[in-house]
Amino acid sequence: MKQIRLKGRPAFPGKATGEAIVCPHSIQGWAGVSEQTGCIIEKGHPEIGKCIKGKILVIPYGKGSTGWSGHFHSAAVAGFSPAGWLFSHIDSRCGVAAAALEIPAVADFPDDVDLFSLIKTGDLVEIDGSTGEVTITSRCES
Amino acid sequence: MLKLTKEEKRMLDGKNGIFKQKAMQKIVEYANALGAEALCTVTKATVYMGNHPYLDVIESDDYNEIFSKMVLCEKGEQIYPLEQFSDECFTQTCVGPCDHFRYQEINISKEVFEKNRKFLDLIHDAGVSIAGSCTPYLSGWIPLRGEHFVSTESSNILFGNSVYGACANADGLEASAWSAICGRTPLWGNHILSNRYATHIVEIQCKSETAKDWDIIGHALGRLLTEGNERPVLTGNFCRPDINRLKKFFSSLATTSGCELCHIVGCTAEAPTLEAALAGHEPKGKIVLTQEEYDRSLASICDEGSGDVQMVVLGCPHYTLEEIRDAARLLEGKQVAEGVSLQIWTDLTMQYLAQVNGYAQTIEASGAHLLNSACPLVCGRTAYDLVKTGFLTDGAKQAHYVHTDLNEKNCKVFYGDMKSCIEASIKGRWEA
Repeated sequence: MKQIRLKGRPAFPGKATGEAIVCPHSIQGWAGVSEQTGCIIEKGHPEIGKCIKGKILVIPYGKGSTGWSGHFHSAAVAGFSPAGWLFSHIDSRCGVAAAALEIPAVADFPDDVDLFSLIKTGDLVEIDGSTGEVTITSRCES
Repeated sequence: MLKLTKEEKRMLDGKNGIFKQKAMQKIVEYANALGAEALCTVTKATVYMGNHPYLDVIESDDYNEIFSKMVLCEKGEQIYPLEQFSDECFTQTCVGPCDHFRYQEINISKEVFEKNRKFLDLIHDAGVSIAGSCTPYLSGWIPLRGEHFVSTESSNILFGNSVYGACANADGLEASAWSAICGRTPLWGNHILSNRYATHIVEIQCKSETAKDWDIIGHALGRLLTEGNERPVLTGNFCRPDINRLKKFFSSLATTSGCELCHIVGCTAEAPTLEAALAGHEPKGKIVLTQEEYDRSLASICDEGSGDVQMVVLGCPHYTLEEIRDAARLLEGKQVAEGVSLQIWTDLTMQYLAQVNGYAQTIEASGAHLLNSACPLVCGRTAYDLVKTGFLTDGAKQAHYVHTDLNEKNCKVFYGDMKSCIEASIKGRWEA
């Protein structure tokens, strides 16, 4: 299995491992993630129906309501917390979510690193939010 | 590396009590997540306080426990009893989960209503003023140019940043409260003046005359902003927007994107000219907003065909006095069809002025309701149970967010301007 190592900026400390859910156009907060099931419910979202629990969410930015973090936080309190975050370029919505959920996060990758072509949904991702190191083990045929 | 002032360190060390200490801890974590190097002083805040549905995951009636877990994000068993919010920051409540006085008309339970009022009383005792508004600028909550503010209403962040040239990021429900408590937010993003230049030139080619047009333009532009952290500047031969058009534009723009600052040449604070908005930077891209994109957005929020409607919602964002007057004129001498709930939402100040001017009485005499402090989207819970087959609104934000839920219940979602919504309320039916 192919392995890729990347380095970004440490955004929230701690280590996490999980399957990636890769969302090149983010996930809507409001009406995007169910707080009751932890599943993506955004209309037309490519990953609709997938549960975020225990996953590494690969996201470029927050989208929609300012309450973006709140929806993920509610889902986490209800038992559906992702394991960690990769934010290609962090914004305030993502920053609050990182601090609210208190799960490992790595952000702000170099411009020539395209997380959304390097990582596929289902790949195994290990992140270290204290050092910014990320290891991706491809599980997808390509 | 984040540097704190002596005062900030004192707060972080707990010298001002555990309530402010916890808020400062979270602001420091937020700042570190962003990579901020310092904090700045916040002087205006709106906060999302009340018995909102997202709090239901905590099965408790103890507001201190709910606040500790959901707002202060405490992961252990520590409870932080409510104490006074920051003296340096004027803080008022954002839109809430129920009208301040009525609940039956909007299909909300007495239990939810009473719990909401209880929570608001507690937060008021902690120094937060009750306003229940997603348009706080209508009642004088106005951050001036360069002033640092936080807000839980995404359209208000766009409004404050763009129209006034004040400074805010989209801090979310939690960080806005952390800031309102400790008086600080990370000096990052839009809080740094040199970061506020336009990144994308947007040429408006579609129609732009009406409030509905601007609502759709916002929705469409948000879809086309696909790179994140973008600060568009609008150019082209668009019709100059007024406050009613702008608040709709910002509301829908912040629905389909994470946009926090949008310059409009000749209209907003930092864009007297295109050159001023770009501030010497090369634009990263150009977006042409065509009539085709406009039509695509409209089609995505308004289902095809005609149909009966049981719930019609106006006032997303909250109506201005002018809009309430216009609605009252359209409803004068008319009756809303039986079985239709026509809800017109605004804030407490506009509602009071509507009463003084007789607009509220005209609206209520028609069978419609002029309501305050909330909207069905924020009420959630049982609010949309009134819909059996069809829902209609003049807010693209409402139409966008409720689409998945209502379509799954085999209900249609329609969208139109104020006049067509009121006409449909009188007929009980939306005609395409």
